[in-house]
Amino acid sequence: MASSSRTIGITMGDPAGVGPEIICKSLAEMGAADRATIRVFGNRDSLEAAAKIVGAPLKFAATSDGADIVAVEHVAIDGGPIAFGKIDTRAGDASFRFISRAVEAATAGEIGCIVTAPINKEALNLAGHHYDGHTGMLAHLTGSRSSWMLLAAERMSVIHVSTHVSLKDAIARVKPERILETIRTGYRHLRRIGIENPRIAVAGLNPHCGENGLFGTEDDEFIAPAVAAAKTEGIDAYGPVPPDTVFHRAYSGAFDLVVAQYHDQGHIPMKLVAFDTGVNISLGLPIDRTSVDHGTAFDIAGTGKANHVNMNAAIAYARKLAGTPRVTA
Amino acid sequence: MASHGTPLALTSGDPSGIGPEIAVAAWRLRNEAQVPAFYLLADPSLVAARARAMGLEVAIVETDPAGAKQLFANALPVVPLAASTVDTPGQPDKGNASSIIEAIDRAVADTFEGRAAAVVTCPIAKKPLYDAGFRFPGHTEYLAHLASVKTGTEITPVMMLAGPDLRAVPVTIHISLSEVPKALTADAIIETVRITAHDLRTRFGIASPRIAVSGLNPHAGEGGAMGHEDERIIRPAVEALKSEGIVAFGPLPADTMFHARARASYDAAICMYHDQALIPAKALAFDETVNVTLGLPFIRTSPDHGTAFDIAGQGIARPDSLIAALKLARQLADVEAKTS
Repeated sequence: MASSSRTIGITMGDPAGVGPEIICKSLAEMGAADRATIRVFGNRDSLEAAAKIVGAPLKFAATSDGADIVAVEHVAIDGGPIAFGKIDTRAGDASFRFISRAVEAATAGEIGCIVTAPINKEALNLAGHHYDGHTGMLAHLTGSRSSWMLLAAERMSVIHVSTHVSLKDAIARVKPERILETIRTGYRHLRRIGIENPRIAVAGLNPHCGENGLFGTEDDEFIAPAVAAAKTEGIDAYGPVPPDTVFHRAYSGAFDLVVAQYHDQGHIPMKLVAFDTGVNISLGLPIDRTSVDHGTAFDIAGTGKANHVNMNAAIAYARKLAGTPRVTA
Repeated sequence: MASHGTPLALTSGDPSGIGPEIAVAAWRLRNEAQVPAFYLLADPSLVAARARAMGLEVAIVETDPAGAKQLFANALPVVPLAASTVDTPGQPDKGNASSIIEAIDRAVADTFEGRAAAVVTCPIAKKPLYDAGFRFPGHTEYLAHLASVKTGTEITPVMMLAGPDLRAVPVTIHISLSEVPKALTADAIIETVRITAHDLRTRFGIASPRIAVSGLNPHAGEGGAMGHEDERIIRPAVEALKSEGIVAFGPLPADTMFHARARASYDAAICMYHDQALIPAKALAFDETVNVTLGLPFIRTSPDHGTAFDIAGQGIARPDSLIAALKLARQLADVEAKTS
């Protein structure tokens, strides 16, 4: 079995979603040598069905043969095949077990990075796994207290101070310690992927950064001190930068990373500039994980129509991380 | 009121900012960028000095609004102001407050009285105006005040960011983000959508406008899992709008409603807060986005940037957004003249 820090583990996601077919499309497209470094954590029947749907001449077995046979760590699903496009408790449970096995493998050093295909939160919760999604689940499975979401595209990357919480809660999290920790996490990651001295812009929270306190004081009270602290640590940090101009500047090349203060602040511009190619990366965990930045797309699952460009991007980013030493600070 | 063929009234904004120079730059590009005829409400000697400082040969002619259209091809028509100005590029001076306000007042009066087709404003800064006793947070509020006084009815102004690919309308504007959840009411959303739909029909010429309404929380709250405002405030507002025959839908997850395919399904996006509208607007068209005030009894547009005191007087400010504002004002005025 391919088993090294260069191995990429792909979790299949919800079997009723587009995960199996985008994985098969990506596998079919990559060279044999690359394919031999993949291990899928999923269900062999779903993968074989998906390969047929997308017309990929792939086979799945415990180990890769370096050609058309892809290594799969098979997780059985009781009660017959899962139908595409429908919420199924068994699918929710299976998607949890794929991830949990992959996390074990990553923790044991058998794989270098996990790439996750989309899961369905409703199915997950019906199966009794009460998580807000991958991020919370991975934090729990690895015993991590906090984690960060980085969205990366060719010309722009954004790390979020908070993600899946209400806007009210997100505002409450805009505090110097959390912002500084976010800047540091982004800084370490960029250095790890080869940017020696990353330029990091920290977005403001309020319109025009509050315009000297006219519309809110958080920019001056919480964000500016965090940026100042980051600078004293030698990080090339800027901000707070007005939220409506910072992304344009980053996209034009002025910054290597933007720290967004809440989910939509970072997601709106990222999905505009890189709707199909944005990769979601979990930072702050003891393992590496990248993910597609879209959902299960139940409406087209099983038709072979799903676009796998995003899966390709997630795998490519995972290859950058797998085998690259982690920087701990 | 605004008849086809009358020029646009352009204020020069804070004369210490980039207003005068982008007005000159826009006039110089009148042929290649097809800039519609306008007159500048300003101190002619200050405009001439600014043009000289930029090293530009510009014919400047003092005129009244009626003479502007004919002059425009060969000279920049300037309608002089009664108040005096201080010419200090980059250094805002409260001594300019009277002339800044006079220009706005006169542009509005000209439009009400049929001498101008629309009001286009260059940027102003709050501080010099506040220091001189002006008490309105910005153009929009002041223009609504002038309109309310003139018409005797309370006018609610609505701000739209209009670019070539997106029209975005924030329901709340210049308040802190933490005040947004409290300030957001179904009534405010309904009022904003009604005004937007009305102006899309009468001024943008869209017979049956389709209005997309964003959510407030990530993924529009995901059924209440991440905040309740989407279900408790926004959804009832959208339902109420539908029941009065407006084509509205939402709340939509804000992060997936702005890409090209999503944009094709609506004519305007109603956003819950300033940056939810401004971030996608500026990401899509940084230099060409225009600020349009809806709900006024006259048409008003402005460039979507500030006074840029830091670069004022250097001649490097780009007139793109002002040119887009002038062209859009002309277009809206022509549609309104046709439909009214």
